[in-house]
Amino acid sequence: MSQFLLQKENSTELQLFEHINEFAFKKNNSIRLNSFNENCSDCLRLYYIIEGKFDWKINRENYTLYPNDLVIILPGQELIAEKGYLEIGSLYWLKIYLNIQHNGNKNALGIWSSISAPEYISIKKIIFLNNVPVLSRLTDAASIFSQLRNEIFGQEIGYVTRVNQLLDELIILITRKVTQQSICQRDFPQAFLKLENELRKDLSHHWTVEEMAAIVGLGTTAFSDKVKNFTGFTPINYLINIRISEAIKLLKKPGENVTDIALDTGFYSSQHFATTFKKLTGYTPSHFRKKNI
Amino acid sequence: MASKKNCIITIEIGTNAVRVVAFDLTGTTIASMKGSYPTFHSQPDYSEQDPEQIFITMLYVLKNLLIEHIHPHKIKVESICFSASMHSVLAIDKRGNPLGNAVIWADNRAKKEAEKLKNSPQSKIIYSATGTPMHPMSPLFKIAWFRHNDKERFKQASKFIQLKTYIIQQLTGEYLIDHSLASATGLLNIHKIKWESEALAYAGINSGMLADLVPIFESAGKLKKAYQNSLGIHADTKLIVGSSDGCLATLGAGVKDGCKATITIEDSGAVRIMGNKVLNDKKQRFFNYLLTENCYVSGGPTNSGGVIFEWFTKQFGDFKNPFDMEYTMKELFAVAAKVNAGSDGLIFLPYLLGERAPIWDANARGVYFGININHERQHFIRAIIEGILFEIYSIGKTLEEHCKINSLSINGSFASIPLCAQIIADIFNKPVSISQHNYSVGLGAYLLSATEMGIFTNLEEAAKSIVLPEQYFPKNNLHDIYMRHFDIFEKLSVKLKDDFVDVVKLQ
Repeated sequence: MSQFLLQKENSTELQLFEHINEFAFKKNNSIRLNSFNENCSDCLRLYYIIEGKFDWKINRENYTLYPNDLVIILPGQELIAEKGYLEIGSLYWLKIYLNIQHNGNKNALGIWSSISAPEYISIKKIIFLNNVPVLSRLTDAASIFSQLRNEIFGQEIGYVTRVNQLLDELIILITRKVTQQSICQRDFPQAFLKLENELRKDLSHHWTVEEMAAIVGLGTTAFSDKVKNFTGFTPINYLINIRISEAIKLLKKPGENVTDIALDTGFYSSQHFATTFKKLTGYTPSHFRKKNI
Repeated sequence: MASKKNCIITIEIGTNAVRVVAFDLTGTTIASMKGSYPTFHSQPDYSEQDPEQIFITMLYVLKNLLIEHIHPHKIKVESICFSASMHSVLAIDKRGNPLGNAVIWADNRAKKEAEKLKNSPQSKIIYSATGTPMHPMSPLFKIAWFRHNDKERFKQASKFIQLKTYIIQQLTGEYLIDHSLASATGLLNIHKIKWESEALAYAGINSGMLADLVPIFESAGKLKKAYQNSLGIHADTKLIVGSSDGCLATLGAGVKDGCKATITIEDSGAVRIMGNKVLNDKKQRFFNYLLTENCYVSGGPTNSGGVIFEWFTKQFGDFKNPFDMEYTMKELFAVAAKVNAGSDGLIFLPYLLGERAPIWDANARGVYFGININHERQHFIRAIIEGILFEIYSIGKTLEEHCKINSLSINGSFASIPLCAQIIADIFNKPVSISQHNYSVGLGAYLLSATEMGIFTNLEEAAKSIVLPEQYFPKNNLHDIYMRHFDIFEKLSVKLKDDFVDVVKLQ
């Protein structure tokens, strides 16, 4: 297998893929100093090791990489080869832009991708929240990389579609692996506590069951059953508990505007907040506030 | 059937969840529901809970239970009785708003404060007055910790209350603490039933900064209008302050006579007896909590309950499905049942979380002892279970220095597993009965409410109404085998004290 380097600016092969910044396969047979300068910090960078052993520093932490490891560098993160040069071995890399927006839809991955907007929100949450820089023994990724290469160079009919499909596939594969690797699927209370912390960190977000299930790494049905069994509530009702209890704390502070409180704690509107709050406590939020300040 | 029915509702504010149970007047469960809330560990020794989340969860569960099981059948709620975990502390400001989260029993931040008092001559006086062992779990030390380490919160605090006090205050507007929970604060003189001035001085507060002391039967006040409406409960429904989970679990297990001990094992565990005498242990190994005047629940708590077996399951269990703890544990138990008593000489000290009674050593750590080349996976599994139960026995054995125990009543999800119940009977060499009721705390609260209503003339009679049909008896000569293992277990717990200190330094 021979080396190649496709770059957005120089390679006609990438003309039809404005979301791909770079795609390369490198066989490094000898050590050259200063041969590894990594920039492009606004891309998602993926490196897949085929041969060799590499010592890299990712976001100031040291990692030793072996064949079949996939390295994920998030936009803004730093990657440095520890010795200042690329070690002997061979690897693929791929740099893609995540934030090419079309028609102002921030939540979509880009017009090229067929991943739906809600699924992409979950995917982004999982990849960014967990921040797992190395996925080990990800052999499935090898075939995706080699298919990508064949499609891009072969340019047979339908190759544009196939390349984009393969990118989607790779992103989904990574997401699933990240969940499995970051959550020990033995300790539900622990996984649930992690979810609870994520919910509280971003309470104004309108969480869906799919997103919550993704954090625990379960399908929605299994997730809902587990949550019901463990907490006594459906996932959405458990979330309402958190929303209301945080809202109560804010209502007890003078000066916070009730509409802001409603939105900050994840209700759709002050009306939605008032109805939910009253149903549970018997008080409207403003009445509750009067009683407590 | 008559359309007019009545019920008693009990609300248990536990460590992981609130459990609401509705009983008919004869003590049969009509319905039960739970709602869980998290414990936050922002630092290694910290265990905190959000009072607002607990309040909202309680309200939500209570409301669901009423809507689904009570109102549709036109059942009248006669009374609502509260119970809660012991030792929580919540600072509130002048307006009654929480200053941060509540610090719960498992929180160990006050280690130094407890150690300091334990090593002072005051220790003896305060222990015999309050009956609470010198341990960071005790609110006495938690408040002292605030005083020295969180001066801002201490200064702003107008009161230091318990989670149950907060819940009741939200519902009725009154700040109340029952004698039982108060007796677990380390601040109450259990003989005079008054706040103990020496202890208050150590904590740096006055009695005005605590809730009002009331007997367990006392009314918790009138439910606020808004909650009457949202819950659909009549204004004349009695709210009863109730007691602590530990005291009520003992009452609910039908123990009201000095010769019977209750063993409770959930995540953690305890061995308790009930009687009219305070155990003034020279080594300060036992708690003495007050149920009512002249009625004390005494005993020792352990950290090493089901949570230790759960830890083992998580690490070494054979999980077929994600998160399927229950099935995996069951399998391990089936394997353990086939191993000889004593695990062929493999001994396990279960002190993964340090230990309270009887050794009261926060530095204690887990040990497998006596491993030989023939020991297999199944021996390690059984040794874990036996280690947990040896620890329970060592509490029971020290209790017997003060009183004779003839029989045992056990409850809690771990203790009630048949293999555990049988091993308990064999180790103790005493007959064991299991409470067939899943909610012994709730049942205790029911007995309390029913006594308040006049259904029973007193708690003694109420406790006698509990029938415990399921029995386990000690099997031939297994006791002797266990005792030969226990001797080593007991010796190791003491012998390793200095080594525990050394190993903790590495952790």
